[in-house]
This record gives sequence, C-alpha cells and structure tokens, in this order.
Amino acid sequence: MALLEIKNLHVSVGDREILKGINLSLNGGEVHAVMGPNGTGKSTLSNVIAGRAGYDVTQGEVLLDGKDVFAMAADERARAGIFLAFQYPVEIPGVSTSSFLKTAINAKRRAAGQKEIDAMEFLKLVKAKTKALGMADDMIKRPLNVGFSGGEKKRAEVLQMTLLEPRVAILDETDSGLDIDALKVVSDGVNALRREDRAFLVITHYQRLLDYIVPDHVHVLVNGRIAASGGKELALELEAEGYAKYQGAAA
Amino acid sequence: MKRAPGLMDHPFGADYAQRTLAPADKHLAGFREQARAVFEPHGLPGPKNESWRFTPLRSLAKVPFIPADAADDVDVSAVPPGVVSLPGSARIVLVNGVYRRDLSDAIEGVEIFGLQGADRNLLGHLATAASAPLAALNASFMTGALALRVNGAVPATLHLISIAAAGNQPVAFHPRLLISLAPGASLTLVETHCGLPGQATFANPVTEITLGEDAHLRRYVQVAEQDDSFHLATTAVALAANSRMEGFHLGLGGALVRQEVNVVMRGTAAALELHGAYALGGHDHHDFTTSVNHHVPGCTSSQVFKGVVDGESHGVYQGRIHVARDAQKTDARQQHKALFLGRGPQIDCKPELEIYADDVQCAHGAATGEIDADHMFFLAARGIDPATARMLLVEAFLADAVERISDETVRAAFGRDIQGWLSRRNLKAAA
Repeated sequence: MALLEIKNLHVSVGDREILKGINLSLNGGEVHAVMGPNGTGKSTLSNVIAGRAGYDVTQGEVLLDGKDVFAMAADERARAGIFLAFQYPVEIPGVSTSSFLKTAINAKRRAAGQKEIDAMEFLKLVKAKTKALGMADDMIKRPLNVGFSGGEKKRAEVLQMTLLEPRVAILDETDSGLDIDALKVVSDGVNALRREDRAFLVITHYQRLLDYIVPDHVHVLVNGRIAASGGKELALELEAEGYAKYQGAAA
Repeated sequence: MKRAPGLMDHPFGADYAQRTLAPADKHLAGFREQARAVFEPHGLPGPKNESWRFTPLRSLAKVPFIPADAADDVDVSAVPPGVVSLPGSARIVLVNGVYRRDLSDAIEGVEIFGLQGADRNLLGHLATAASAPLAALNASFMTGALALRVNGAVPATLHLISIAAAGNQPVAFHPRLLISLAPGASLTLVETHCGLPGQATFANPVTEITLGEDAHLRRYVQVAEQDDSFHLATTAVALAANSRMEGFHLGLGGALVRQEVNVVMRGTAAALELHGAYALGGHDHHDFTTSVNHHVPGCTSSQVFKGVVDGESHGVYQGRIHVARDAQKTDARQQHKALFLGRGPQIDCKPELEIYADDVQCAHGAATGEIDADHMFFLAARGIDPATARMLLVEAFLADAVERISDETVRAAFGRDIQGWLSRRNLKAAA
C-alpha cells in the first residue's frame, strides 16, 4: 500500500475547477516533485491535502496509510502525519516560537497516547536541532516568524518538520525567497529527514531546488492535470525547454 | 432632600443612611453630609449621563443592598485560596473595605493610618463629590479611610487584597484609600479585588493617589469579582514634576465592573503609563474609563488596552485626553483593541481628544476584529486543535498589553490568571 495515494482528485474554488483529476502515489522513502507554471493548481494541491478551508473536493480521494484524509480536520491530518511546509509561513505576534513548538509536539504526543515532553528534554532537543540548521539560539524566544528573514522563516519550517517527524511532508514552493546559501541549508535539513518510511511531495516552479533535494519522480502539473511524469531528468528538460509544449498539449 | 424628576430608584437612600454607622469623627461626618447633598439630588448616573451611557446601572439599582457595616453575619477568617500569592510581598487585607490587621503583614517603609492619623487635606482633594457620581456615593457613606504614606524606596511589593463578602443579604461598601508618595519615594502596589460566593456584593472604592517630585509608583489592579457582583471603582491621581506612574488594570469577571482612572499632570516631565487587559464571558460587563489631563508642558502618557469578549459580554473603553493650552511638548497616546470570540458580545469604544496646545504629539487608535483564519490554519497544520489554537492566539493578543507590566512577578501572575480564565472557559463554541 502506498503511503499517500491521490486518486482522481477534482477540486474547485467557487465555480472554477482547479484540479481536474490528479493521480499520484507516494511510497515510503520517495521524493516526488510536482512542477508547473504559475496558476496551474500546485498550491491548491498542497492546501487541499493539508486541509485549508475554501476548496471543494468534487471528486476523488486522498488516502494516508489507506485512511481517508478528507474525513479528518486539518489538525487531525497533521497529527496523523501530514506536514505542510508553507510557502509563506505566517507571523504570529505574541506567540513565542518555543511555546508554539512545545504545544505542537505535545499535541502529537497526546494523540499518540504518549506523555508530554518535559521542559529539559524539550530545550535539549530544540537546541540540538536549531544548531544543526544554523539558527540563532535566541530564535525560539522570539514571537513565531515575526521579523524573521525569508531564510529564517524557511529554516523554522524545517525545524518544525524535524520536530514533528511527519509521514508525508509537502513542501510548497519552499525555495521562494531563498538565496543560494539558505537554499542549501534548508535542503540539507530536508535531506537529513529522508527515511524509508517517509515520503516528500516537493512543489516548485524552478528546477534549482531539485539540484539539492534530488527527486525520484518528477510530475508536470499543467492546467489542473498531470501532463507528464518521469525521473529527475525531466526536471532538467523542463528547465531547458520550459512548459510550453505541455501547455499546448493540455489546451 | 430634593430629587430631580425621572431619577431611577436605588437602594442608597434614607434607610441605607440610617443603617450605616454614623462616624464619631466630626470632620468625616461633615464630609459625608456635604457629599450626600451632592449625591441625593442626582442619584445614580443614568443613560443620559454621557460618561455612563455604555454602562447602565439599572441592574445594580434593583439589588436591595444594605451597608456592609450593618451586616453582622459576615465572617471571613482567611484570604480565599484562589488569591494569587506573590513571593516576597507583604499583604494588606481588607474585608468589605475594612482593614484587617489580623490578616495583614507589617511592611517596612509604608506607614499605614486610619483617617485619624492621615493628612486630612488628602481626603477628597482629587476625587471630589462634584466630579464623579460614584465618588459622591462613596463619600456619602464611607466609614473610614486607609492611608498609606511612603517616604522612601519600598523594596517589598505591597499586595492589597480586598475581599467582598455578604451574609444573608447583599452588601455594599465604600472604601477610601489615600496613597501618598513623598518626593523620590517608590512603591510597587498590587491590588486584588475578589469576592466570596454567596449574595451579591457591591464594591464602591475611591482611591486618591499623590506622587511627589521624582516619585515612582507601580500599581497593578486585578478585578476578579464573583459572577453576580458589582465593582465600580474611581481612582484619581496627581503627578508632580518628574514623577512616574505605571498603572495596569486587569479585568476577569464580575456582573458589572467599571475601573475609572483620572490623572492630572501637575509638574513637568511627569510620565504616565496606563494599560489594561480584559477577558469577558457570560453576561460580564467591564468598563474602563480613563481621563488624562495634561495641564503642564513636557509630560508623556501612554495607554494600551486590549480585551477579548465571548458569550453575551460587553466591554467598554472610554479614553479622554485633555491637553491644556500651556501643555506644549506633550506626548499622549492611547490605543484600544478588542477581539470577538463570537457574535454575541458587544464593544463600545470612545476616544476623546481635546487638544488646545499646538506643539504636541497625540495619537489614538481603536480596532476590533476576530481571530485570523490564516493563523488558525497554520496552527492546525502543526497538529494543534482549534480550542488550544484559540487559547494561544487570545493569550498572544492580550500579551501586547500584559507585557508592558515591568514587574516580572506580577506579569507572570497576571499571565497565569488569563490562562486560567481561558482554560476555564470553553472556547470551542466560539465561531
């Protein structure tokens, strides 16, 4: 059984159909990249799997370990192991990064019937992980994402991913707003999390990210449909030739 | 005595006056008589009184209160266990407004008097009967006063605990607190106003605060009355040159609560910080009314009030800033923001700026809103359930005000009180 199974997924926003029958199957240990031009439904795909409001699923299903994802609320999906790394992580003034992280870790632990993390254990864990990601020590004392640079925000996303140990991580345009150094640090963080029982869905507009997070499968999303699938070489081909030939075919 | 037509009936008439103890002190007896002559013709303020438009007193006026000093069945032998314990603080305990030496600590550097030892000139010099109807009510029936005089720097925090307790009948009490800091003196004062379950109580305190030059007062007030109780407090403050006052008002319950603070700058370079936070549910009503009067040049005042409202509650903020013609180089700011947790609550906000000087910096801001859906989704995407997410966001919203409390112990204690309120209240139902 695939870890994440997307079957004939149709999604509308208002009267407009955005996704028109997506089929994807992610097995443990795999990295799948979804590439496509702007406005083609990439973010819709990630948002609808994570459970953001405002999307109508008109047909199809998404299964995590065989369980119906759409039967779960967004927070239940996250505790079941779906992690969305945001393209634009939100700033939340007044909520310290550390209390946010602790709350999130404990939500997952409680759901799994484990006891809450104790303060010392938490600090030790976070310290080790922030160091590995090259983050400043005082970052966790600051309000969540407030005043963080683009790079810091994406590092914070990877930190959360590291601490929450998801089954399926969806990276929504993680490369946007990153310079090459930050891109490398973030990619290293993601690569360190690759495991046999975890899958990644990397959504991106550019090939550049895929130099660092090397995918097993690449899918081209155009006009709400997967227009082509292939290995990592497909990404290079798209970089060289653009999306024009798929856009023509899909139209 | 003559009464104007159309007045609402209220329990503070001749019967009430007869039941309360007549003061032995001649000065006080005269003071009371004068105040009653002011209170009687007008009674309790009604909806036509601009300052009381958003805070109707009809529910208060219907309760058959008796004076607390006439209730012989009230027995309080300890501070209620829910009252915050502040490490390193000394306690002053009042029961129905009466100082209880047996429950209080001595405190180094603070002289405590009844009216006998106090400076008589301080009584009624700031909160005059003519200036506020509830100060007039207080003056009409006050049975004594508690005066605190501070001459130097007081190292310990003074924790004043005012307990409202009724016997078989609802009780009202009218305490008067006179606080004076000599030039250069400093004090941190925490006030906890709470009540015991039982019949309704009505606390009607008036506090008059005088700061000498270079004096520094930090005053943190928390009102957490019982759900069916009334608390209408008036504070009047005079600031001398270079003095500093930091005030914080926390409101977490009570059927009808008003915290009114009137400040006058009397010397240049005085600095006022006056902040507050509130969390209301059920049918709570909480009113913050401030009036900051810049009479002299070069003073600063800053106010940040933030509140969350749930259920059918009602929050009120009225902030008046008056800058006199001579008060050049004034810097006066105020802000009120409220967060709705449902569609039932109501907020009234009335900023009022009267500026007669031309070289000043004045600003006010007011906003209301709901919890941000993007914030909720972000937290959900990290596995945090909606009730917990709301708690985090509400706490964060109030933190903007609470973080202005400079005393760490008090900041943490008030933060815990807010957390307690939030976890007691079921926020799941909120829209």
